[in-house]
Amino acid sequence: MTLDHVLAARARKTVYRDGDTAVKVFDAAYSKADILNEALNLARVEETGLAVPRVLEVKKIEDRWAIVTSFIEGRTLSELMKEHPDRKNDYLAMLVDVQLSVHHKVCPMLSKLKEKMERKIRAADLNASCRYELLTRLESMPRHNKLCHGDFHPSNILITRHGTPYILDWSHATQGNASADAARSYLLFCLDGDYDAAEIYLKRFCQKSDTARQYVEQWMPIVAASQSTKGKADERDFLLSWANIADYE
Amino acid sequence: MSDRFSAHAIRSPDDVRRAVARLREAQIRYAQFSQSQVDAVFHAVALAADRARIPLAQEAVNETGMGVMEDKVIKNHFAAEYIHNAYKSTKTCGVIEEDPSAGIRRIAEPIGVIAAVIPTTNPTSTVIFKALLALKTRNAVLFCPHPRAKDCTAAAVRLLARAAEDAGAPEGLFACVDEPSPELTGTAMREADLILATGGPGMVRAAYQSGKPAIGVGAGNTPVILDDTADIRHAVSSILHSKTFDNGLICASEQAVIVPESRYDDVKEEFRKRGAYFPTADETDRLRRLMLINGALNADIVGQSAASIAAMAGIEVPPSVKVLIGEVTDVSPAEAFAHEKLSPLLAMYKARDFDEALDMAARLVEDGGIGHTAALYLDERVASDRSARFEARMKACRILINTPSSQGAVGDLYNFRLPPSLTLGCGSWGGNSVSENVGVKHLLNIKTVAARRDNMLWLRTPPTLYFKQGCLPTALCDLHDVYHATRAFVVTDRVLFDLGYADRITQPLEALGIVCTVYTDVEPDPTLASVRRGAEVMSRFAPDAIVAIGGGSAMDAAKGMWMLYEHPETAFADVAMRFMDIRKRAAALPPMGQKARFVAVPTSSGTGSEVTPFAVITDESDGTKYPLADYELMPHMAILDIDLMMEQPPSLTAASGIDALTHAIEAYASIMHSDFTDTLALGAIERIVAYLPRCYHNGANDPEAREKLAHASTMAGMAFANAFLGLCHSMAHKLGAFHHLPHGIANALLIEEVMRFNAAEAPTKMGSFSQYTHPQALERYAAIAKALNLDGDTDEERFEQLLALIAKLKEKVGIRACVRDYGIDRAAYDASLEEMTRQAFDDQCTGANPRYPLMDEIRELYGRIYEKEAT
Repeated sequence: MTLDHVLAARARKTVYRDGDTAVKVFDAAYSKADILNEALNLARVEETGLAVPRVLEVKKIEDRWAIVTSFIEGRTLSELMKEHPDRKNDYLAMLVDVQLSVHHKVCPMLSKLKEKMERKIRAADLNASCRYELLTRLESMPRHNKLCHGDFHPSNILITRHGTPYILDWSHATQGNASADAARSYLLFCLDGDYDAAEIYLKRFCQKSDTARQYVEQWMPIVAASQSTKGKADERDFLLSWANIADYE
Repeated sequence: MSDRFSAHAIRSPDDVRRAVARLREAQIRYAQFSQSQVDAVFHAVALAADRARIPLAQEAVNETGMGVMEDKVIKNHFAAEYIHNAYKSTKTCGVIEEDPSAGIRRIAEPIGVIAAVIPTTNPTSTVIFKALLALKTRNAVLFCPHPRAKDCTAAAVRLLARAAEDAGAPEGLFACVDEPSPELTGTAMREADLILATGGPGMVRAAYQSGKPAIGVGAGNTPVILDDTADIRHAVSSILHSKTFDNGLICASEQAVIVPESRYDDVKEEFRKRGAYFPTADETDRLRRLMLINGALNADIVGQSAASIAAMAGIEVPPSVKVLIGEVTDVSPAEAFAHEKLSPLLAMYKARDFDEALDMAARLVEDGGIGHTAALYLDERVASDRSARFEARMKACRILINTPSSQGAVGDLYNFRLPPSLTLGCGSWGGNSVSENVGVKHLLNIKTVAARRDNMLWLRTPPTLYFKQGCLPTALCDLHDVYHATRAFVVTDRVLFDLGYADRITQPLEALGIVCTVYTDVEPDPTLASVRRGAEVMSRFAPDAIVAIGGGSAMDAAKGMWMLYEHPETAFADVAMRFMDIRKRAAALPPMGQKARFVAVPTSSGTGSEVTPFAVITDESDGTKYPLADYELMPHMAILDIDLMMEQPPSLTAASGIDALTHAIEAYASIMHSDFTDTLALGAIERIVAYLPRCYHNGANDPEAREKLAHASTMAGMAFANAFLGLCHSMAHKLGAFHHLPHGIANALLIEEVMRFNAAEAPTKMGSFSQYTHPQALERYAAIAKALNLDGDTDEERFEQLLALIAKLKEKVGIRACVRDYGIDRAAYDASLEEMTRQAFDDQCTGANPRYPLMDEIRELYGRIYEKEAT
């Protein structure tokens, strides 16, 4: 095994290509439980029949944990959008279609979206009043069991030479309400500063899934609060401003 | 006191459970308090709350940073003074209502421990409100505050708890969650006996999902329409007064003003003059961005003043500005101003006309405040039709007219019959169990004690009954002298007409100057078609008196015609609907006798139709018999003159005599019998037993026997017109109809078997009627035997004697022993059993039978009467 072909380098993990496999190597400090959970999530999603990389191996390389998956040759939707700005709308439409195909699946053994959100809101740096509002709102949201990716944005969609979209990075996957998943996608565009794409995306999602925009919006402060725990300081103020809402009385 | 509160701090779900257990103990002690003890506590706590109204308001504003201190004083004051005043005399303990004669008692019981969710917007006044309601109803309360208002809420709870204890209430009726979280609120909801949830939709939904009964209320999005007829000065000042109250924190506060085009500029000018600010298009946009965060209300603007909200949006306004009014057009949630704003922000819409205004208001209510409140300004005197349309259209549980909605919806301030409350139900539209203003009645369990009482009975007869041989011409004078009739319609059958019976009516009437016509087209079992034909002729003649002369058929047909003549729209099937209680029927006849009086003159002794409100009409198209039954069909006058009865052949005397006997026996044993009907029924039975054989054998030669029999028949008719009949008649109706047996014969064949069936002391099911306490048929039949002086030491023996007497009587008058003896084919009889059984079960007469028959039992009874040896 030679790990010199870097596919992607993130803050606490690096993905290498090794022949027809991809090897995601985590920092030494990375939670072992999170790594094993990510591999397990991916293995479970494989069983749904969606086009995703297959888990081949979880192992230690020197001191560090790594997940070995099949390597998929292709370009991410975000790369394609940058290269073909004129086709951006088409790519956004494709993004929505792929996401809806995910939402059509169920994956009963994954953890529950509402429970995960509750943990995140508790951990968020919010005042007691705001946390109370958000937890109360979360509690009242409907309990669904759709497969949710949890980090669904163009850089996680890989399009092969034949045009088949593959969905990468299932570390945040849960089962729950699809509108929460859409609210997160919308939020991710906004965090990138691409408000136009966010609007186009959300309109398209609501139209194709026959969902009221207000329904997706109900999830936004919750999703923003949960995103704020990811620890990116520059994003925190923005996310917390989204969470500062009052429920009507 | 405060020591106990801090000793029992509530910070975890286990703390909540322990707190509820302590509250429950205190509540059990408090539940023993009398009304006067409770009222003393209620009064003392209301006074304490009154006294603390200003410090509590200050604490609320200081802690939450929302609202207007002076307005919160009003809310506290209202919650203390108005709630005390509204309920100070209300009975909430023990027996609160009693009507011994009706046997009804209502007893108020407490519910137990109430979980009270307290909002940030009214953190102290809601505590006062819920605490007072709970004290008045002997409940304990666990208060669940909002984190933003936990200290002032807790302070209010402690103050009221202390006041309650000082006034003699048990220690520990109130507790308050110290570290509020949805988890603790949820635990409190699950542990309590009832939830009083005031809060946002999420909180209210959580309450309803907790599995405990919940009284929750939700969001409001009050639209207000200014009609063309509204007084603009009054309306604008009212709206500003309401919208600025506590900086718009009241859930019923106006959110959108809808103004007709014609008045728009005037209204805008008036608003400006009274201190409202209309932002420019750009400023409106800035406010939109400020007020909503992805469709949700920005917590920073809630309960802030118009000036500080303007400052947050970078808009310069004078500090005195009261309200910021966005002029907008879209009523959908895509428009930020269309949302509930909990602040002095207001939307203003221009409507083409009242119709468009209604559409806009309806949409605003449905999207943002369904079930809550809607308001309308108009001139009540000239525009009540518009008010009615508004009331019909709004899905709002409070519709306020010419009233500031913040202060108006809480009741007793601008209308004095709307109960004062700080918890406003939004009905099923808002997902609530309550649609009114919540009050003490919602915190009580009411036990209703219902003691058994006898059903009211009655005796209804024709107003006039004339009798004695030769009385007919004299009796008919009443048509002229009393009824002032001028046109008489005589109904009879062809046979009697040919015998000259109609002349006996028309001659005396014509001599009195009454114009008469005679209708003779009446068949033995009158059909619907013939009745309709008769009613047409009757309508053309337009009589003011109807005289039916003949047997049951003529009288029944005449009643049918009379009904269609008076009420041509009557549906036969409706009036014939079987009833459980003749007074509670779904279909009843409108009053009769407005066009014509009805006089019945029987020529045979059997049906009793001259004194009953019944008639049987057959639909010839499908054979359905419509048993019409309605006291409106009671004749106004019956005339018994045996001169008209002398010509009866013995067979008719026998059949109709036995018919009358079964009327009397069934009325006597009916579950609805009374002293009055008993006397009539026994009198009839005695006369029939004594005189029927004589009459049968002697005919016209024995006028005394004829008269006794005539009277007996009418007495039996009066008995069953009020006590009704039983299973013998139910089965005889179908036996006669299916096998063409005269009605009297059909009854004769059945009566003994049915009496045996009824006499069972342990019947499968007994008849249902309040005063029918146990199976009584045997003792009733034995009582008939006693009245007839039959021997016997026991009821059973006397009953057997009665049966033997009936059998002998039948034999004496030539009635055969069984169905077979009337030439009915066995196979045809058997083939009819199922349908006869079904129809007999469904016959109206079945309901009064002392034994409620099962279908199998009816079938078996039919089986028994086919073949029998004469005794």
